[in-house]
This record gives sequence, C-alpha cells and structure tokens, in this order.
Amino acid sequence: MRRTRRSIAIAVVLGVVTGLVMTGTAFAQDATDGADAPTVFTIGVDSDITGLSPFVLCCGADYEYLELVYDLGIGFNPDDLSPAPGIVTSWEPNEDKMEWTLKVRQDATFNDGEPVTVEDVAFTFSFVADYGLPFYKDYFPFSPTFEVVDDETLLWKSTEPTFAPEVPPYMPILPEHIWSQFATGDDPKEARRAVKDFANDPPVGSGPFELTEYARGQFLRFTYREGHWLGTPAAIDEIVIRIYDNQEAMATALRAGEIDFAESMSPNQFNTVKDDPNITGHVASAGCWGNIAYNFGGQGPDSSNHPAIQDRDVRLAIAHAVDRQVIVDRVYQGTAAVGWSILDPAKNSYYYKDIPAELQYPYDPAEANRILDEAGYLDTDDDGVREMPDGSDPLDFEFMTITDVDGSVDTGRLFQSFLQEIGIKVTFKTVDQAKANDLWFSGDWDVYVWDWCPDPDPDFMLSVFTTDQCLSWSDGCYSNPEYDELYEAQRQATDREARREIVYEMQDMIAEELPVMVLNYWSDLQAYRSDRWDPAGFSTSPNTELGLLLFGYGTVRKYLDIVPIGDSSGTATSQGLPAWVWIAVVGGVAVIAGGVMFARRGRDTDENVA
Amino acid sequence: MGSQRYLLRKVLHALLTLLFVLFANFVLFRILPSDPVQLLARSQHLSAEDVAEQISSLGLDKPIPEQFVVYIRQTLTGDLGVSLRSGVAVTELIGERVGPTILLVGVATILSTLFGLWIGIRGGWRRGSAFDTSSLYSSLVLYSMPEGWLGMILLLFFAGVLGLFPAGGYSSSQTITGFAHVVDVANHMFLPCLTLTLGYIGEYAIVMRSSLIEVMNEDFVMTARAKGVRDVMVRRRHAVPNALLPTLTLVFLSFGFVLGGAIIVETVFSWPGLGQRTVTAIGQRDYPFIQGAFLLLSASVIVFNLIADILYGYLDPRVRES
Repeated sequence: MRRTRRSIAIAVVLGVVTGLVMTGTAFAQDATDGADAPTVFTIGVDSDITGLSPFVLCCGADYEYLELVYDLGIGFNPDDLSPAPGIVTSWEPNEDKMEWTLKVRQDATFNDGEPVTVEDVAFTFSFVADYGLPFYKDYFPFSPTFEVVDDETLLWKSTEPTFAPEVPPYMPILPEHIWSQFATGDDPKEARRAVKDFANDPPVGSGPFELTEYARGQFLRFTYREGHWLGTPAAIDEIVIRIYDNQEAMATALRAGEIDFAESMSPNQFNTVKDDPNITGHVASAGCWGNIAYNFGGQGPDSSNHPAIQDRDVRLAIAHAVDRQVIVDRVYQGTAAVGWSILDPAKNSYYYKDIPAELQYPYDPAEANRILDEAGYLDTDDDGVREMPDGSDPLDFEFMTITDVDGSVDTGRLFQSFLQEIGIKVTFKTVDQAKANDLWFSGDWDVYVWDWCPDPDPDFMLSVFTTDQCLSWSDGCYSNPEYDELYEAQRQATDREARREIVYEMQDMIAEELPVMVLNYWSDLQAYRSDRWDPAGFSTSPNTELGLLLFGYGTVRKYLDIVPIGDSSGTATSQGLPAWVWIAVVGGVAVIAGGVMFARRGRDTDENVA
Repeated sequence: MGSQRYLLRKVLHALLTLLFVLFANFVLFRILPSDPVQLLARSQHLSAEDVAEQISSLGLDKPIPEQFVVYIRQTLTGDLGVSLRSGVAVTELIGERVGPTILLVGVATILSTLFGLWIGIRGGWRRGSAFDTSSLYSSLVLYSMPEGWLGMILLLFFAGVLGLFPAGGYSSSQTITGFAHVVDVANHMFLPCLTLTLGYIGEYAIVMRSSLIEVMNEDFVMTARAKGVRDVMVRRRHAVPNALLPTLTLVFLSFGFVLGGAIIVETVFSWPGLGQRTVTAIGQRDYPFIQGAFLLLSASVIVFNLIADILYGYLDPRVRES
C-alpha cells in the first residue's frame, strides 16, 4: 500500500515539474523576443517627487520632472544659464523697461492635443501674479499685467522699470483649459487653497516628454513626444527615474547595471563606484553652499540670542578660528570646495565675484584669540570659556545642527573643536529639519549650520539678507540699511553690467559683515555607465568643468544628445531570476510538500493507534 | 450560552479600545510640538497672512470640540483628509501602500511561522540533540540580528556581487502584466522577504520550543506514552496542540502589526510600503497622513487581537469559561 502511494507521488511530482519547466521556458523565450523595444535611459534618485502639481515643488527630482513635462516660458541656455527661448521666443523691452514685448512660439502643443497659444502664456503669468501663487509669484514683481496683442504677441506691463523677464522667471507654461477652473473667484485665498489641493493627475504640459507611468514611491516613466520643438533625441525614447530609499541600494543598482545614471550620490557611495571601469563619475557643483548662520534676534515669539553675536569682532574671530579646508576634507571627503561668496561660482557665474584675499579671513587661531582679547572678551574665571566684556554671560552658544542636511552634524562637531581653541563653548542641539524650522521660527537659537541653493539669477539670494526678509527667508534677521539700498539699486538697474557692479559690492559687504559665514560650495555627485553610454554624448550645463550633466538648469535638452555605445540598445536590464526558475522552484516545493503530506496521511491511517 | 457571552464581551472590549484610539489619535496630534504650517511656511515662502490662511484651511482655527466633531464625522465617513505635501487624498496614498505591505510582511510572517514552528517543534521534542543545539543557536543569532544590517548584507551580496536580484523597488514597470508581472514582483520581493523571514523565524522557533518543552513534562503526555502511543503520535496529537496556544497568540499579534509594515527593511530595499511612507510623512510633518496610518495600524492590531481572543476561546475551553 505504502509503496504504491509513494510511487504515485513521485510520478506526479516528476510529471508536474517537467510540465512547469517546459511552460516556463516558453515564457522565458517570450520575454527575450523584444527586438523593437524602446531605448530607455534609467536614472536612480534618492527621493520621490513631492507631487505632480507644479505648485508643490520642493527638492530633488521635482525640477527634473517639471522640465521634462512642462516647457518653461523662457528657458535657460545650457552654456551659461542665460535666458533662452522656451515657449516665449523673444523678449524686448521698451525704452524705460516698463513694457516688454514677448513673442510666443506657434509650434507647441500640450500632451492632450491642444495647441499652446499666446492666451495660455498670458493666463499662466497673470494667474500666478494675480493670485500670488507660491514658488513663482516673486518672479513677477511690481503688480504686472499681461496683454494679448495678437496670436503671437504679448505685452508684459510693469508699474516700475524691471528686468524680470530676463531673470528669467522659472515658470512652466500651464494649459489655460485645465487651470482656469481655479482662476474664477475674486478671492485669491480661495484660489490658492484650491490649487494646493489639486493633485494634477495626469499632468498636462507641453514639455518634450510625457509622463506615461507613475508609481508613487517607485518610478516615473517619461516618453518622448514626437515632433517637439526642442528637437528629436539621438537615441532615447524613454526616461525612467527610479527611486531608491537609500544610497547603498542606488550605488548597488548602478554597479549591477540596473540603472544607467545615478543622481546626487553621497560622497561615500560615489567614491566606491567612481573607480569601476564601467562607470564614469562626474563632480559637478550642486549650486548650494553650506554656511554658519547667526541669530541677530528680533524674530519669533521665543527670540533669544547670545548678545555677543551682535558684535562683528566675535564673528570675525570665529571666521579666523575655522579651518574651512579641514571641513571640506573630513566632512565632504574632498568633494566640496572652500568658498566665501553668497553666490555660487557655477550657477551664478556672471554675477559671482571672487572675494578679495583680505576678506577671506585665513585660518589663524592666534589672530582670533587676539581679536577677542582686544575686544574685551576675557576668560575671567579661568574655566576655559571667555565671558562678555562686562564679565557677565560666558560665550556659550546654542548651536543647532540638522540631521537631514548633508554634513551639518559633522561640520558642527568640527566647529566645536575649532571654537574651543579660542575659548568659545558650543552647546549642541541636534534636530531634524522639521524641528529646526520650528526653532528657527520661534527664534530660540544662536548659531546653526544649514545651506542655501541660489537661483541662476542672484536676486533672490541677495534678497535673503535684506531687512524685509526678517521672519520670512532671512536666517537670523540681519539688518543693514546700506545693504538694503544696494539691493533696491540692483533690482532697478536696467543695465546688466551696472547691475553686476552692485552685486559685486553686495557680495563683498556680506563677506565683510559676516551675517552668515559661507563655508563651502557643495558638489552634486553624478555617475553613469560609460560601458553602455557614449561619454561623448554627455556635456555639462553650464558649460564648465563644474556644470551638471543632468538635473540642472537647461539640462533637459541634454537628453537629446545621449547615445548608447555601438549597437547595444544601451537599456539597463532589470535583474531577477527568469520565470521558469520561479515556476520550477515554487511548483517543486508545492508538489513535494503535497507529496509528503499525501504519503504521511496514508501512513497515519495505516498505523493509527491513538 | 457561555461562549456567546465570551464573544460579546471580547467584541465590546475591542470596540471600546477602538473608540479610545480614535480619541487618542485626535488629542495626540493636537498636542504635538511641531507645527506643520510653519514647516510649509519656510519651504514655500509664505507670509504671516498665508500662514493664517493655511491654518484656517486645515480647520485648526476652530474651537477644539468643533474640530473633534468634524474629525469623528470625517473619519467615520472614510475621509482622512489631504496630504499637506502633495495635495493627494490620504486614503489614496495609504491605499496604494497597503497592497505591497501586506504582500511582503504577510508572506514573510507566514513563511517564518511555518519554518519557525517546525524548527521549534523538532528541536524541543529532541531536546539537546545536534539539531536542537544548532537550531537554537542560529535562532538566537537571527533573533538578535538587526534587520537593517542583515538586509544590507543580503542586498550587497545578492544584488551587488551576484547580480541575481534587483537592488530595490516593487516592480520594473506597470506595463508588464499578467504572469510576467508576478515574476517581476517575485524577483523584487525575494530579498526583503528573505530578510524579514530570517528576522522573524528565530522568535517563533524559540517560543515554540520552550512551550513544547514545558508541555512535555505534563501528566497527559506521560499517560499517552504509558498507553504505548508511538512517539510521533504523542507529539502530533497530544503535545503540539497544547504547546501551540502561546505561540498562536504571538502569531496573531504579529499579524496585527503586518499593516505597520517593516520600516527598516522597506527602507533598505526601497519597498513602497506603509512603514516606509509613514517615516517619510513623519519627517515632513504630514499630519493627515500620519494620523490616517496610525488609525489603520491601531485598528488592525485590535482586530487581530480580537481574532486571537476568539480563537483562543475556541481552542481552549478553559479560557472561555473563566
């Protein structure tokens, strides 16, 4: 009896496994029969986009998504980030620069088939300006109005002289037929609320690519839109952006060939892949700078700042006490560059100024000690910490470091040891960015390590240090009437050269006054599979050594040049076991388990004694 | 009659707990120190007026009792609000994460239960044997191993060195359908599932082993042996069913937490599950999402506890009658 059962069981197992393997092989062959497969360029990033609406921009891949799916009104020239034709092809001011004539391109369409018209452009600009929509409203200063003259001409009328169209406004052109539903009422608040709650799914834009697949938290797939005015890609049909929750997984995926390009790698992971013969690493300027910011008081309900911070001598001594190169070497493993100006040398290249040597305050602890001694900050009670000149409070600063800002915590630690050398104590408060915002808002801090990422146009970055920005964008409510005047002057300068002179002066002023202490310019570490993609197909924007390959201003058109090597389709392959292995394993396990149970059940009935 | 009253009492308890959770969920998020509007204010460049506008749009300017009534009404009608960040409905955001989470953590829990119980039973029954000693030590090692570390090692080896499995994610593309999709997901799921299964297995094996050893000293086991019942039958019919009870509680408690996801493993393998999304939401102070996720997690724990209670009463009449 038992023997018969076992033989039957074995026969069944063998039969089923053979059958499964055969079907599986057929499936596997199916999967490889894809000669007409599109050429896909796969990019790894370390966080998902915030949302599909152009009004929820935040960080990371948000801007790449936006520029793939939407055309900017006026774009960026990838060579020098100067304004370049987008949907608007030309922009000419009248004599007093209060009226600009904009010409709108006639060959663009939205991905739902509707043409892009001059009305769409006028609608987008006035929608944002009239309703004060977030992110973009500051690009339209002096309450402008927009008047359609004919099918291709638009007048931008300002109440004051302006160079705003030349900034240019970072403004995706929205289809009026989708967004006009929010521009009906007289109440801008109501409109803003409705816009905020609009998911914009699927997005309708006129950009070179269309979002054809979006699995939140997993990947985005973009497909090239045939006949887009920007031109036809040399090779790429689709772009896939895959989201990895951690840097190790992203680097592993690049090494294994699952992705073709890794964006914004950590220095650690970048150093592990850059020597791989199949991978080419590129150190670009991230366009962000790390800094120490001081609280000058006057903001927030719990405003409490150390009185010594108001004293420029203290800030000057700190500047001398810090070895910026050590921070770059240890915290950023040499992938950042020491810096002094509040503008970015790569992104703001036209306006960036090398800060003169006398304002660079070289590392010199002896000089720092001398400055503090002379200013009367002495260690009267001999505990290693200096006191205020009147002998009251010790120089003990509440120092905020932020866990989710790259390098903030490590920079803070180095700072502590640097300041110890000159008799200043640092008490840490290590928090995440959300908590840091709370503390910043309440004014309950002395010093923090954070970062800024300026626009290509310097206006916004310069505005951060004006008195008006207290409680808005200002770090610590720094206020200097002289600086405020210069800011207004550069804003109204209508000549680029003249404006540059003023901007130069402002950079020097900040370097001298030290309301923030610029430490270093960060790098954006990018790497791609150079065994599959021709390095000649990659170029940087701006066109300098530090420019970005992708994920920068004006880099969307760079996708058009990327070409695979030889006849390889270049497409990254997804790893995994073929179907037949799964079928064999799962089927095998199920059948064996079934067989065992079958046999055992028989045994139980045969010999049941309980 | 007795069992009906037992059932009724348990259901009532569960409902009361759920009510308490509803209440706590409301209070908790209103006494938290961090203000989401301020966070938005900084990142979206809002003026004081905009901030007031945000507060009123979230209904936070209304008196607390009124807020509570609105909250209860919305929750009961399945309206969990809109994510502060992306403007997408919280129910939609949670909904799309529930599937992958249940799949991953559910399969891992089932597999680890099966293997864990089997190891525990075999080891406990032949206490001190080579199998028992080796399985006990490996169980202890696995039980105490940090999941994130184990996951990272598996990731670097299987995805990086061998290149056998993808380095993360749930699927390659949504356009792949049918059987090919199943294979695609299976490939993505293999490593996180292996990590979780290895991580859970030790716990089940150890609990099962010790409870079996305890039962083996009971009189009824000795009686069965004295009757001359074969060893296998003593184990299968007498010892294991009794030893299963405490383990069952553990299993059901674990199932209650399945929905919470496996935060660390989901993050290591970029698995788009609820746990991973909740962590992101906490970082962004996306309160509507966190509130919704907490509610769901609490409800699922309560429901599975109720099931365990009921099952316990059914399996062990002593519980029902006490």
